[in-house]
Amino acid sequence: MKSRFLLIPAYALVVAAPVQATVYMSVEQAQAQMFPGATLTPDFVTLTPEQMKSIEKACDVNVLSPNLKAWRVSTGGWFIADQVVGKHEFIPFALALDDKGAVKSVEILEYRETYGDQVRNEAWRAQFTGKTHDAPLKLNGDIKNISGATLSSRHITDGIKRLLTTYDLVLAKQGS
Amino acid sequence: MTSFSPNKEVERARPLLGTTVNIRVTGMTEAIAHTAITEAFAAVERVHALMSFHEAESDLSRLHAAGPGERVQLDAQTARVLMEARRLSQLTRGVFDVTIGSRLVAKGLLPAPDAHHPACSDANWEDIEIDEQGGARLRRAAWIDLGGIAKGYAVDRAIDVLRAHGVAHGCVNAGGDLRTLGEGPHRVAIATDEAGVTHIPVLEVGEVAVATSSGRANATPDAAPHIHGRTRVEVNRYQVATVVAPQCIHADALTKVVLALGSESAPILQQFDAVAYLQNQAGQWTGIGTAL
Repeated sequence: MKSRFLLIPAYALVVAAPVQATVYMSVEQAQAQMFPGATLTPDFVTLTPEQMKSIEKACDVNVLSPNLKAWRVSTGGWFIADQVVGKHEFIPFALALDDKGAVKSVEILEYRETYGDQVRNEAWRAQFTGKTHDAPLKLNGDIKNISGATLSSRHITDGIKRLLTTYDLVLAKQGS
Repeated sequence: MTSFSPNKEVERARPLLGTTVNIRVTGMTEAIAHTAITEAFAAVERVHALMSFHEAESDLSRLHAAGPGERVQLDAQTARVLMEARRLSQLTRGVFDVTIGSRLVAKGLLPAPDAHHPACSDANWEDIEIDEQGGARLRRAAWIDLGGIAKGYAVDRAIDVLRAHGVAHGCVNAGGDLRTLGEGPHRVAIATDEAGVTHIPVLEVGEVAVATSSGRANATPDAAPHIHGRTRVEVNRYQVATVVAPQCIHADALTKVVLALGSESAPILQQFDAVAYLQNQAGQWTGIGTAL
């Protein structure tokens, strides 16, 4: 099996990509992929404090924002654009619900990752200040693949649970 | 929205298999890339539904719910993964053993399944019988966790789907267990979860699978995530093992063998045309079956 092992000075990576941010899809692209051919009509909701409280009580997940970006789908169902707090950053995602309120699909819209958490630490980065010019290895853009210990998707799972509860308690009760 | 520029890179991510799975395709028209990715995700979802430890309808849950000796018809994919798991158990004489589920439950790393039969404490991989028709029976009650092998298998299935759509360049990454398409070279950074490192390990590979397991990940003061199948003792939680192999199912499973056996895993790796990189507690790297 052909593979080459390199130890790249961390500062070379810090310079190349201090934070690995990947934009997978825009909200519009996600709508087109998740409901092909359908027309989506915005039906944004501002949750009342009482609604927020009852959602938290029912699903045991904190509701961080009263603003719910939901679209009605011409072919039935809902499209919701929302976000959860990941390890450090907001992770925007889109949820497609069918006309019964069941999950049709989930797409992560944007993701930020670092080469280890320490890259985000100012003090850690400071130790490489001034070393950027003599970086022995030129990197052609980002390293796009990271093999590592599994990151949990728990926060996204919790976000989906919260939106399903929001659907039950709020969206499903709205007249069309 | 659809562009016909063939050099476009399309990448999408979904929360699956308890992690984030992302699929990247290059060199296809955007429309074909999206279709290929959607169907590749469906293949991963299928593996998830069949082999989940948690979901009541999964093949595993049905097997756990059945009484000792009772035959359960499995999907061909589940049967294939269980047979590969058995093969690895045979080769490692039980170091790799998917019946450690009960131990992971006891350690609080997995929730107890809704099974009528508590796992027999000394049940092991030899208690899993698979027949030629894809049926399985457990000779003694055991809780099987495919968390150490099914993710790699799901990556392989997704790669098959991409290939069937004519995709020649891309990558499927299931939370760090990945497989590339195309000769690249692909650069793969290895996340070691260390604090304050000055160097980042990076692999340059062609068309291949790369998987990494770390004793540091998800470790709590009481429990490290990897267990030696034969001794049922936790393996050193300060090591990181990366395996490069043609198939991701093998790369994924072999990381646990390397964590448990270290350089003694060389002859086993060779059987799968695989090599490994192991980082010890002091942060030093060793190549197994390969020079550094």
